[in-house]
Amino acid sequence: MANNRQPDFEQLPEFEKEFEKLVDEHQSMVFSLALRMTGDRGLAEEIAQDVFMEMDRNLTRLESADHACFWLRRVTMSRSTDAMRRRRVRGMDLWVEMEDAHGAAVEERASPLGTRLEQLLATLPEPQRAALILRYQEDLTPEEIAATLSAPVATVKSHLQRGLKLLRAKAATHLKEFVRGN
Amino acid sequence: MEIDPMDEFERELREAFERRPAPPGLKRRLMEKRRSKLEARPWVTWQRLAASLALTAVLAGGVEWRIVEERRKEEAARQQVMTALRVTSHALNQMNARLAARRRGTQD
Repeated sequence: MANNRQPDFEQLPEFEKEFEKLVDEHQSMVFSLALRMTGDRGLAEEIAQDVFMEMDRNLTRLESADHACFWLRRVTMSRSTDAMRRRRVRGMDLWVEMEDAHGAAVEERASPLGTRLEQLLATLPEPQRAALILRYQEDLTPEEIAATLSAPVATVKSHLQRGLKLLRAKAATHLKEFVRGN
Repeated sequence: MEIDPMDEFERELREAFERRPAPPGLKRRLMEKRRSKLEARPWVTWQRLAASLALTAVLAGGVEWRIVEERRKEEAARQQVMTALRVTSHALNQMNARLAARRRGTQD
């Protein structure tokens, strides 16, 4: 991932190795972000493929491993939001697959609490959901989330607070048997 | 020590929101897609080259046709001028001959 490199056919094996390495390292992150944003495994895989193919086209612009990770998170969130918008325009209902997790292998399925929390997360407004996913899946600070989503830090903090409060309230009502500390 | 319920809930969220494994075969599909795209690239390059050559040939043909057409028009104009000059010269010769004949008649 050096600067000012032009991909040509002699350099392809090197680029392929870099691409493969980045896919290995980040496929789980990209897929999980897309899955939690959209709630649709098929759509999440489609988004993951698009994001990585886009990364392949922009490989020469990625300056470091951190930059690649930041870029992947940013593009995944943006693609997921676009995909949900397109689906809403078409009048399709998302978050239909999380409940029964069909399409996922048994070992891939989340714990019962995880699944229920994901279902509750799906009921939150999209900006709050995005902020919470980046906070608790990716362990990002509000400043890092703001940079990823191109939003002001104050807005992100507000989304985090409101989203967490809402999720806590919903969990207190619906997940009494699971959530400790309630 | 009592744990803050908020911290406990956040800890549970972190556990629940662990990254999910990517679908099996995602990487393979990506690598195949990438390779097929790269394989298609030389064909696209050839197509572009062929299109560029065809366009250049059409443009060059157009320019050449225009030059030839201009030359043809120039030649036609030159021929017309030459014909006009020949006609004029012929008329002047006739006029000269008549004048010479008249002069001779006057002198006789």
